[in-house]
Amino acid sequence: MTELVPLPVVLPLFGAGVTLMLAHRPAAQRVVSTATLSAVVGISAVLMVQVDRSGPQVLWVGAWPEPLGISLVADRLSALLVLVSAIVSLAVLVFSIGQGMTDDDQDTPLTIYHPTFLVLVAGVSNAFLAGDLFNLFVSFEILLFASYVLLTLGGTGARIRAGTIYVVVNMLSSALFLIALAAVYAATGSLNLAQLSERLAQLPGSVALMIHLLLLTVFAIKAAVFPLSFWLPDSYPTAPAPVTAVFAGLLTKVGVYAIIRTQTLLFPDRPLSGLLLCAALATMVIGILGAVAQSDIKRMLSFTLVSHIGYMIFGVGLATTAGYTGAIFYVVHHITIQTALFLVLGLVEYRAGSTSLIRLGGLARVAPLLGILFFVPAMNLSGIPPMSGFLGKVALAEAGLRVGTPLAYALVAGSMATSLLTLYALAKAWNLAFWRTPAEAHDTARTLSDPHGTVVRHGRHLHVHGSVFETRDVEEARRVVDEDEESDLDLQQLMDADALPRRMPATMVGATAGLIGVSLALTIVAGPLFGYAERAASDLRDPGDYISAVLPGGSR
Amino acid sequence: MTANAALILTSAAVIGCAVYLILERSLTRVLVGLVLLSNGVNILFLVAGGRRGRAPILGSDQGGRVSDPLPQALVLTAIVIGLGTTAFLLAMAHRSWQLTGHDDVQDDAEDAAVRRLAAEDEASDSFDLALGAAPDEVPEEEGRST
Amino acid sequence: MLELVLAHVVASVVAPGLVRLWGRRAFPIIALVPLAAFVWTVSHSNAVADGRTLTQNISWVPVLDLQLSFAMATLQWLLALVVTGVGALVLFYCTWYFADDEPGLVSFAGNFTAFAGSMLGLVLADNLLLVYVFWELTTIFSYLLIGFDPTKRASRQAALQALIVTTFGGLAMLVGILLLGNASGSYQMTELLADPPGGTAVSVAVALLLVGAITKSALVPFHFWLPAAMAAPTPVSAYLHAAAMVKAGVFLVALLAPAFAGTPGWRPLLLTLGVATMLLGAWRALRQYDLKLLLAYGTVSQLGFLVALLAVGTRDVALASLAMLLAHALFKAALFLVVGIVDHATGTRDIRLLSAVGRGAPVLLTVAAVAGASMAGVPPLTGFVAKEGVYGGLVQVATHGEGTGLAGWPGWAVVVGLLAGSTLTMAYTLRFLWGAFARKPRLPDTVVEPISLGFVAAPALLAVLSLLLGFLGPAETRLLRPYALSFPAGPLEELALWHGVNAGLILSILALVAGLVLHRWRSVLADVQAAVGPSWSAERGYRATVRMLDRTAVEVTGFTQRGSASAYLSVILTVVVVLPGAAVLLHGWSGEHVVAWDLPAQALVGGVIVLAAVLTVRSRRRLKAVVMLGVTGYGTATLFVVHGAPDLALTQTLVETVSLVVFVLALRRLPEYFTDRPFTRRRYWQTAIGALTAVAVAGLMFAATGARTATPVSAGLPGPVRTFGGGHNIVNVTLVDVRAWDTMGEIAVLVAAATGVASLIFIRRSRVVIRRVSDLPRDDARAQTTAPTWLRGGGTVPPERRSVIFEVITRLVFHTIVVFSIYLLFAGHNHPGGGFAAGLVTGLALVVRYLAGGRYELDEAAPIQAGTLLGVGLFVATGAGLLPLAFGGAVLQSAILDLHLPLLGDVHLVTSLLFDVGVYLVVVGLMLDLVRSFGSGIDRQILADEPEAVDAR
Repeated sequence: MTELVPLPVVLPLFGAGVTLMLAHRPAAQRVVSTATLSAVVGISAVLMVQVDRSGPQVLWVGAWPEPLGISLVADRLSALLVLVSAIVSLAVLVFSIGQGMTDDDQDTPLTIYHPTFLVLVAGVSNAFLAGDLFNLFVSFEILLFASYVLLTLGGTGARIRAGTIYVVVNMLSSALFLIALAAVYAATGSLNLAQLSERLAQLPGSVALMIHLLLLTVFAIKAAVFPLSFWLPDSYPTAPAPVTAVFAGLLTKVGVYAIIRTQTLLFPDRPLSGLLLCAALATMVIGILGAVAQSDIKRMLSFTLVSHIGYMIFGVGLATTAGYTGAIFYVVHHITIQTALFLVLGLVEYRAGSTSLIRLGGLARVAPLLGILFFVPAMNLSGIPPMSGFLGKVALAEAGLRVGTPLAYALVAGSMATSLLTLYALAKAWNLAFWRTPAEAHDTARTLSDPHGTVVRHGRHLHVHGSVFETRDVEEARRVVDEDEESDLDLQQLMDADALPRRMPATMVGATAGLIGVSLALTIVAGPLFGYAERAASDLRDPGDYISAVLPGGSR
Repeated sequence: MTANAALILTSAAVIGCAVYLILERSLTRVLVGLVLLSNGVNILFLVAGGRRGRAPILGSDQGGRVSDPLPQALVLTAIVIGLGTTAFLLAMAHRSWQLTGHDDVQDDAEDAAVRRLAAEDEASDSFDLALGAAPDEVPEEEGRST
Repeated sequence: MLELVLAHVVASVVAPGLVRLWGRRAFPIIALVPLAAFVWTVSHSNAVADGRTLTQNISWVPVLDLQLSFAMATLQWLLALVVTGVGALVLFYCTWYFADDEPGLVSFAGNFTAFAGSMLGLVLADNLLLVYVFWELTTIFSYLLIGFDPTKRASRQAALQALIVTTFGGLAMLVGILLLGNASGSYQMTELLADPPGGTAVSVAVALLLVGAITKSALVPFHFWLPAAMAAPTPVSAYLHAAAMVKAGVFLVALLAPAFAGTPGWRPLLLTLGVATMLLGAWRALRQYDLKLLLAYGTVSQLGFLVALLAVGTRDVALASLAMLLAHALFKAALFLVVGIVDHATGTRDIRLLSAVGRGAPVLLTVAAVAGASMAGVPPLTGFVAKEGVYGGLVQVATHGEGTGLAGWPGWAVVVGLLAGSTLTMAYTLRFLWGAFARKPRLPDTVVEPISLGFVAAPALLAVLSLLLGFLGPAETRLLRPYALSFPAGPLEELALWHGVNAGLILSILALVAGLVLHRWRSVLADVQAAVGPSWSAERGYRATVRMLDRTAVEVTGFTQRGSASAYLSVILTVVVVLPGAAVLLHGWSGEHVVAWDLPAQALVGGVIVLAAVLTVRSRRRLKAVVMLGVTGYGTATLFVVHGAPDLALTQTLVETVSLVVFVLALRRLPEYFTDRPFTRRRYWQTAIGALTAVAVAGLMFAATGARTATPVSAGLPGPVRTFGGGHNIVNVTLVDVRAWDTMGEIAVLVAAATGVASLIFIRRSRVVIRRVSDLPRDDARAQTTAPTWLRGGGTVPPERRSVIFEVITRLVFHTIVVFSIYLLFAGHNHPGGGFAAGLVTGLALVVRYLAGGRYELDEAAPIQAGTLLGVGLFVATGAGLLPLAFGGAVLQSAILDLHLPLLGDVHLVTSLLFDVGVYLVVVGLMLDLVRSFGSGIDRQILADEPEAVDAR
């Protein structure tokens, strides 16, 4: 069965090649990429069952005698994440097909969307399957470069600005990763994770510590852990909705995954709990405060994304089986829910032409379906029972209390506060965007700026003058008060005037609803899923099986 | 294994310069810094490979130790990826020059907005919209001066 | 019992559809669901009365010890009756309350039913986590129900307020539950009651649980959300804010009391808050003009009363307080429904406008009077019976303690406090009845529209029950006794209308009389209240807190999100310096395992590189910076040569050359100098970080290299590379075979990068157009004038920029270079070279063609889409990887193992070479893409931007 292991990576790359050759055949591209991802979903499902039944699946690429070549390893954790990310990316792909990727007003080069997206997926799967530290680096590069392209699609001012921050930060982190790799090879003469797990343990403590900390820093940048998280909210929201969705769902989780591996496989006996837990607490609290301060739902969600990374680090920092179980479940939950929410925002943008809380209003009456599609995952993210967010939260809190150190208690408290604030922020968004009447929203927007764009109310002028063409809010506020005939129409009237699309494409709605369905299904299958997560966690706690599976002959 | 001071110090110095450059505002400088950084890092891999030696090509045996081929393979990968980096960032620099007339890395506008709110001790906009004013109907109570 | 809950879930899904179909007439049908649950509950009365507990347990998430377990003992039975019964009645009442075209009615039906379901689940759940699940669900649905009319800002804010306050309590409660489960090893209430755990952890846990109860039941200091929630339509108020949701807190207290009433802090906390709430609520109720708000504050007061009673924890008080709980549900729901009817019939709820409504609606008056009497505790109504029992019990407690430790002044204090509360209750009851129905001087009689019988039915039924129960004391006792018996201490006196003259009776009468007096001299009271009216209020406190929170958010975010890339980069680098750097310091310096150099040349070249790097930093001209950068690059290549890495040297040189060209092409339009920046303190900062990073890296590498003891993996390479990989150049075999997986990823990177560049340069165009000379318009003069040309595209270049020599050389060299590159490709396996080098060389050939002959020449040289090349390359490489699967091999496995042919080596070479060809194609694609973007693409933009340039030609 081990020949299945590389397929989640090779197939998307193969598909990418094909779609590139079909550059001028959009229809064919759609078929190819959808088929590819569906295949990946199927394969990884089989793989997961296989792994759960008969332990880690190891493939030495090119059948080179270990430990010479590169090993791909699917253990319970990897298999699970590969499956989830495949499902999520399929949903996003379908969504973006429905949207025609003609995001905003500029015609984004459709021909490169499909290949790039497939490359991204390949990179993500590769990161989860890599059994070799340098190969992990390569897979990071794959998904990063794909993400650079997707993030700057259309090359608008906002996207270039956001893209610059994103690209530069990540390129620095890649360089740091390379330094760490050089150090690792210098110290151990190996790159294979299983072998490293044994060789690193024989290093002098301080040397191992340097490498450990450097790796953690690198992965924490990817995972957006405080204080390495500031870049994220500035870069994600400007991308086209489906792109933001897939980034939010997958990319940070790759970082979290890498941290988990570092903690459990490379340095199993050096948990650094204090450091990680403090970082987790700061990530949660400061992240969610950021969300509270936002006035655009897309940005708000980017901040909740950061904040909830804290939950996973919390679980990892505890370094107990219960902690890892919670973290794993939370990762799965968060991948699905965060992606789903951003897709919903894509629908909002499509339907109402904005995600700014200054502009939106009355959506619950105008588009009830949209209301449900937003409310359910929003509550799920806020940890409202019985949905998966709640279960993950409980698992982590239980683990924390079981550890019982003051710091652990602080984190339990922090996680509760975070989920309250998440609820507060999202409910606020709901009040404004979905409940407030369009007319009321419209009037507020008008009071924000007069046609000349000068100060009207104190503390408001930032929406009006200053970098006028740079913040969406300004564009919103101005669009409302501009001199054109639409100026005096509120959302409701705009829709009546057919200035906005009446109905949303079935594929977009379908993909979103499907993903929300998946996130709800997590509640129903919570029993077995938690069972699986616990087995995966205990695998992590005792890397013995992993190592012996990779190096049956013992390392040399 | 022995560490080669010359190589280590060279790459460290290069990396230092690179860091200085990537903290600049001009995107071109940042890019130059990143390329410099990758050069420095590549040298580190030579260090990681240990002492110098013959080229790792079999057959032509004149004895003597062979330089470690594995790091070389890694560096080769890194170099090529570096080329991709250069190309892409150049494209971005050019694009942002097209848009703004300069290639300086611009700050995020919405962050600026929040910072301005902070400076003016204002509450966030969503707060003002959601809960800012008192509720429209404050129930009147007996004995309250109306 | 799960079935009952699920039934509600289904109903809540169906309900909106029904309402959309039949409008308000759908409500009676929906009401059947809670009614069925009611009947089911009644049918189990006897079992419960005999002290049995019905249980149901279904596993859900064993890992979390979270099960779908339900249990119905007396307490749960009673609340289930209330929840389902009142629920059914209110739904029935909705039929008359709402109009068919009421906006939001559809979703209302769904939310209301869902709420009823969660409420039922809440009172029946046995697993504390499950209790919390339903607890939060009720919060969410009440949020949606309070926001029934979201166009009113007040109702939006009230909804949010209720949501936040109760969720805050809920989360505290969740932590409490988890602590409790952690300390006792179980979440099952039945088990916890069986043998209550003790200890500090448990006391903390219980305290946290109580926070939940207090917020949910709107006790001081969280009472403020309840009156605000009156923005909801009356049926919601009647159900959520009288009978059901606010009872949840009371229920929790009652549920925990038998096990934890002894916990330190329990009685002081709950008794104080309870009494305080009762007084405050009643006091505020006496000041309201709005009938609904009056009732709301009345409810707050009553909830305080109930909590205080249940906190006491002796048998007869417990019994009486359950009776009180039931009584309250009956009369308060009835009164709210009455207010709703008044509102409908007269169009107002304002005491100052209503007059002589009683005359217009006698039936309604009677109903209200009966319910009110029960609220005030007037015999013979159930309210009186309960209250009398309560006072009897409390006097017992105050005199003998009954194991509560309340004997003496604490007990009496409670008695007095509650008595005062009852007095005020009587007073506001009278205010309610008088205000709603009495004829007032100087007010015209209010016009009362006729009220249909069905509308009054629900409140009437509740009122009748309040009356009947008054006479059924003994029966009630029999049903409720098991709960009382679950308390350890105290006698158990039967509820009854007449126990003869005793403390309870006297105190009750006292309260009634005092209440009458208060009402008689209400104007005086009003003046007093005006005098002592407090300036502060808990609600203001809440608003202040939320605002403060938001301000903090803004400040913090403003501080962390600097929004500039360099800020974030310096944060990252600081972390690098601080964390791993600190570890470096920890390690310290040991001179051992360090040599100055293997060859002096290394130091020499190194010096040059460093010099170039410094110059790069200092240069203010773009071009100079780029050139200096190039020097470092070539220097690195030299180091590679010295080190014995020809492949690296080759590739590095080629890449450096390519980047130089690309740089120059891309930067030709950017200003010559970098934008000048004043010499700021920032520079020092940059320098510092740079230096520290350098130190950290150096330290890391010294330490790491010194620590190596193990033999490198690569030691095992040579043998297999020859035998298994069939090549001599280890590096190349590593790239295309041993670590081919990396290489595959790497070309994926290149593909992504190339497409990205194209998409950034050719923004508007989805595909790059290839334009060959033949595409040029016929009448284009230059095509003829510039003949003879060596390069077909040469003619398209403006004469002043043409160089015949260059064209000639290009003409001669081009194919040679290409052939050489092909050689590199094939030689790679055994000598320096390989796909990358080959691709780069071909690319350089194209660059030369472009430089010599311009963009048309380029398209002549490579009349193909870069994208296609990239695609084919990736296709070939991955295909070569997948191929072995067909032969049952592993991905990227060399087919040598599978094909038993003569000349194995050749066969083997073919497969891994195929992969290398893929690489080659991708690299060529990349190069073509770069030249086309940075070369041709920018050429076209220049032409587009500078029309005079066109005229010049």
